[in-house]
Amino acid sequence: MNLLDIRNLSIELQTTNKSILAVDHVSLSMKEGEVRGLVGESGSGKSLLAQAIIGVLDERWHVHADRFHWRGKDLLRLSPEERKSIISQDVAMIFQEPMSCLDPTTTIGEQLAEAVDTEQLSGYFWQKNQQRKSAAIKLLHKVGIKHHDQCIKSYPHQLTEALCQRVMIAMALAKRPMLLIADEPTAAMETTNQGQIFRLLASLNQLKNMSILLISHDLENVTHWTNNITVMYSGQFVEAGTTKQIFTEPYHPYTRALLDSSPKANIELSAKSRLTTLPGSIPILQHLPIGCRLGPRCPRAQQACVKAPKVINYHGHQVSCHFSLKDTY
Amino acid sequence: MLTFTLRRINLLLITIFLLTLVSFSLNFLFPGDPLVNLSGRINPTPEQLLILSEQYQHNANFFIQYWTYLQHIFKGELGVSMASRLPINSEIINLLPATIELSMTALIIAMCIGIPIGFIAAINHKKITDNIILTIAMLGYSVPVFWLALVAILVFSIQLNWLPSAGQISLLYEIKHVTGIQFIDILLSDSEYKWQAFQNASSHIILPACVVALAPGTLFIRLARTAMLDVLETGYIRAAKAKGLSFTQIIYRHAIRNALINVIRHVGLQFANLMTLAMVTEVIFNWPGIGRWLIESIYQRDYTAIQAGLLVLSSFIFIVHILTDFIYAALNPLARDSKHGT
Repeated sequence: MNLLDIRNLSIELQTTNKSILAVDHVSLSMKEGEVRGLVGESGSGKSLLAQAIIGVLDERWHVHADRFHWRGKDLLRLSPEERKSIISQDVAMIFQEPMSCLDPTTTIGEQLAEAVDTEQLSGYFWQKNQQRKSAAIKLLHKVGIKHHDQCIKSYPHQLTEALCQRVMIAMALAKRPMLLIADEPTAAMETTNQGQIFRLLASLNQLKNMSILLISHDLENVTHWTNNITVMYSGQFVEAGTTKQIFTEPYHPYTRALLDSSPKANIELSAKSRLTTLPGSIPILQHLPIGCRLGPRCPRAQQACVKAPKVINYHGHQVSCHFSLKDTY
Repeated sequence: MLTFTLRRINLLLITIFLLTLVSFSLNFLFPGDPLVNLSGRINPTPEQLLILSEQYQHNANFFIQYWTYLQHIFKGELGVSMASRLPINSEIINLLPATIELSMTALIIAMCIGIPIGFIAAINHKKITDNIILTIAMLGYSVPVFWLALVAILVFSIQLNWLPSAGQISLLYEIKHVTGIQFIDILLSDSEYKWQAFQNASSHIILPACVVALAPGTLFIRLARTAMLDVLETGYIRAAKAKGLSFTQIIYRHAIRNALINVIRHVGLQFANLMTLAMVTEVIFNWPGIGRWLIESIYQRDYTAIQAGLLVLSSFIFIVHILTDFIYAALNPLARDSKHGT
């Protein structure tokens, strides 16, 4: 059974004169214990999608979906409050820039303690505070922070970026979630710290069978840690498949271009030659092209591309393109 | 924290030094003989003038004159009032506590009412509550204080006869002057009508304090509203939502403290404004405070009183400013200690 099954989710931005379709019919499904990468350029709607799943978008954004199942339960049929309680129970999210996601005036210990679920505590109310504290310390140990005394008393600005991200992960773990959404957890972080965070996430996945949705703009980096990858472009679904499929035999011209633009994936590249890139840049929200949004930049675009392509499934390798590269392999 | 305290105290000392410099130079800038302005003795005989110039080192250079002036201030000798012939320091000791009482009460009323209302407006952003509160705040801020005071007297004391219109306490109660702050004096006194006196004093302070509090209070509404709106947009509120905290929990645990920090910053700045309003209100409500006395001194061209009163009032405003800075630091860990490298 799928843990999360989303079909044709759209997110609309309601402005004063018109509405903009920021995310256009994107499907995403996750199995238990899976690590899925969600890859796309900045501005391709990855973070929006994640925030829509967790339900923290403000009222300017309107979310529609054809299907939104969580462990077989249809969340669309539930009221917003019920949906929120289910989601916040089972899904946790860590954000980019952890420093700004921690309350600057509250100590780490307090913030961790309030994330601890009341149901995990036992005993009378005067014992609960103590239990919360010890639960917070245990969480810090889980994410590999040994000096818990110092950390608990600190304010966010006194810790490094990587430590803050660990604290965020600890907070996310407090509810013992089934799914962790990591929204560019290592943006603006040094490479050594990046490695630590990714290793921590990988170990959580292996030891606790926790599913992880890893959002990143860096396809090459993500391939080390994920089983499956979904690629998005400008709010549209591009391609989804196993990491190997995506990395070796991408069906979509956009994924091909992404891989060609990284020196590691592009082995045939001769030394000191230019990396291939797509012409132009990602369209801004106010001027989105009709049909397939890659159209104006796509090397394989033809007249049919003014209509948005349907998703075609080749044994689990889904691609949304009229002229996929499948036949070229 | 130690560095912070030292820096604030340093700032306090330097500002008071500059204030004395200004008030000292005022003696020369006001019309008339500087010596007369400084001491307040009008029409002195030649012998008196000789003694005065000896006292204030008037024949020495400016630095020594200034130094003598400072020594006089530290001894508490601010000269005598030109109008009433009373020593100014005793007048100030008598009058300043009443002003402190009025302005502090007004500040507390303004903060206790303005800030929560501002928060409520921000929480109901873009709803009808928000619009109503904003309209009222706009109106309240643009009402002139003297007009409001007169209307308040007209309605609440004359027509409805709920509250007294003038003075600090009814003349029936005899309260000994200990600290000068009426409420403390009442509580310290051993009169058997202590509680009646307390009630009477409270009913006297309500009207002027509310009048003074209106404009700063409406300003606090707007400040609190913007501060709260800013905080509600931040990443940590979104993260707290994702953590599964309820909206009330988010507001009480994270939003209020962070929003309050930004409001407290402005309270110190607004206090000077509030003092000006209090001075006008003191005149209308016949409140025996330093503001009324200072305005009267200005009318009577009592230069000695003006410069001494200015010095004392601005020092008081500045001390309050520093105190709010300390409250700000107590609430905000970022201001308390130096930042570590990120």
